[in-house]
Amino acid sequence: MAAGGRRDDAAAATYVHLARAVLYREYLVFVRYPANAVGGIVVALFFFGVLFYGGRMEGLLVGYFLWTLSVGAYSAISNDIGSEVQWGTLERHVTSPFGFAPVVLLKGVAKLVRTFLTSGVVLAVMLVVSGTTLQLDVLTVVVVAGLGVTSVLGVGLAAGGVAVLYKRIGNWLNLLQFGFVLLISAPAFDLGWTRLLPLAHGSALLQRAMVDGVRLWEFGAVDLALLVVVAGAYLGGGYVVFRSATRRARRRGVLGDY
Amino acid sequence: MTTGSRGLEAGERSPAKSRAEGPESQAADGTTAPTPAVAVDDLHKRFGTGPDAVTAVDGVSFEVDPGSVVGLLGPNGAGKTTLIKSILGMVVPDRGAVRIKGIDAREAPRAAYAHVDAMLEGARNDYWRLTVRENLRYFATISGVDPASVADRHERLLDRLDIADKADEPVRNLSRGMKSKVSLASVLAGGAEVVFLDEPTLGLDVESARTFQAEIRRLAAETGLTVILSSHDMGVVETVCDRVIVVSAGEIVADDTVDGLLRQGDAHTVELTSPAFDRGLLATLRDRVEVTAVDRLDRGARIQVTTDTEGLYALMATLRDHDVSLSRVRTVERDLSDVLVDLTTAEGA
Repeated sequence: MAAGGRRDDAAAATYVHLARAVLYREYLVFVRYPANAVGGIVVALFFFGVLFYGGRMEGLLVGYFLWTLSVGAYSAISNDIGSEVQWGTLERHVTSPFGFAPVVLLKGVAKLVRTFLTSGVVLAVMLVVSGTTLQLDVLTVVVVAGLGVTSVLGVGLAAGGVAVLYKRIGNWLNLLQFGFVLLISAPAFDLGWTRLLPLAHGSALLQRAMVDGVRLWEFGAVDLALLVVVAGAYLGGGYVVFRSATRRARRRGVLGDY
Repeated sequence: MTTGSRGLEAGERSPAKSRAEGPESQAADGTTAPTPAVAVDDLHKRFGTGPDAVTAVDGVSFEVDPGSVVGLLGPNGAGKTTLIKSILGMVVPDRGAVRIKGIDAREAPRAAYAHVDAMLEGARNDYWRLTVRENLRYFATISGVDPASVADRHERLLDRLDIADKADEPVRNLSRGMKSKVSLASVLAGGAEVVFLDEPTLGLDVESARTFQAEIRRLAAETGLTVILSSHDMGVVETVCDRVIVVSAGEIVADDTVDGLLRQGDAHTVELTSPAFDRGLLATLRDRVEVTAVDRLDRGARIQVTTDTEGLYALMATLRDHDVSLSRVRTVERDLSDVLVDLTTAEGA
């Protein structure tokens, strides 16, 4: 079967031509965006690693819960900015008397709250399906996981700023979220300095809270202080990068142009 | 956290109140004048460097009185959008100053932009999944106003725009005309005293566009709302605007009332019909005036002539000398599009 030709001198394309064309396009996209392709393989291997070396189902579930939270926190801001541009509402946030950066940060926090709820549902389903039991002290889980992903929110804020400046770089930004798997499993490698990276220390504490039943007030002061400092540092750094990137976008006249 | 002194009466202040309570400035002759709603002083913006650099805004200065509706016109690429974005703080100008209600937008952006909202590039401008009322509450909040404190006024705004019965409908379910009213309502939801509307009637049918224009005029007249409107629809501009600023190649090339622009220059176009117009007479006329069109008729011709007052006298004298009897004389009025093309092509030439 052939599609109707428009010109007498042009041969009609068949479904074979179409299939060949779309397959070739797929191949070109694959080779032109190698980082995306490699990233997909890497994340699959990381999951395998966590499954293989993590050992316990409880640890895997906690790690997956934290990973979904992190992806939500990370993508909240850059995805939101893209959507606002598409909807024609970004400008109204830019001219807000609250200031663009504070509005964007609060919107990120709002998305994080929503992600907490959806990830909570996913966690509940996983527990039921796998027949696994975890210690779910709500205060401890919310505080530790919340502070853990706050650092990712900071990274997301910086990524949002870069997206404002350089537009469609989602493929590159998305690759970063695969690194969260590594950060979540960082405590397993027992390297002290990794605790300064986003998520890593929070992941270690959340494992202890949800698997071993350690309550918030039972953690050492140093552990809690490090959790707060890392969260604050990444959030503050992300905020500074976002403000700097949007200021630069204003100077270049590219704010809102996608 | 509070965000400055934004007027709370969403599109409902009386002009008298605005003027009475607004800051005033001392004029040179000792009288006090209301502070301009928007004052732009020597604004410059250049993109890029070297030979590829583009000057988008080149020394633009103007003031807009409170309660007026000002049209910002110009061909594509003239610098209108960059100018509007520079005023709104979305583009940082290289030089120059912007004051909103007397507040320097660079020194105190939050206080300055508390008075402003914008509907840019005919965009949808609000959330279609949210209801009309939810949009108003949200945009009032990010405009720095507690939505609960203006709930009654939102109701009156919805009544005024005749969309009160759709207040709890998701915006996506509404017609295009209704959606544009919702956009306007959401722009006014935070009580902005100055609004920028870029192509506000884009995509609207004739009736919706007329209703929208009437609302803009009514809001400006009844509430003292200041509107700066950019549109390629000259009908909208002629109907709505008190004053028109024409921008070309980043500079202001005209700043006048619509009537002033239409009367600008000493050029008149007349259409004359006569059975006496033959080749010889037309050649004579062409020597003296610019004959812009000739329609040959069964007997004679219909011609269009563009000339100044002196040329018009000379034309009439020539016709009298040749004993021409005119069967029809019609004055062809120039519209705003003609004026805009003349102004912008003259500048570009």
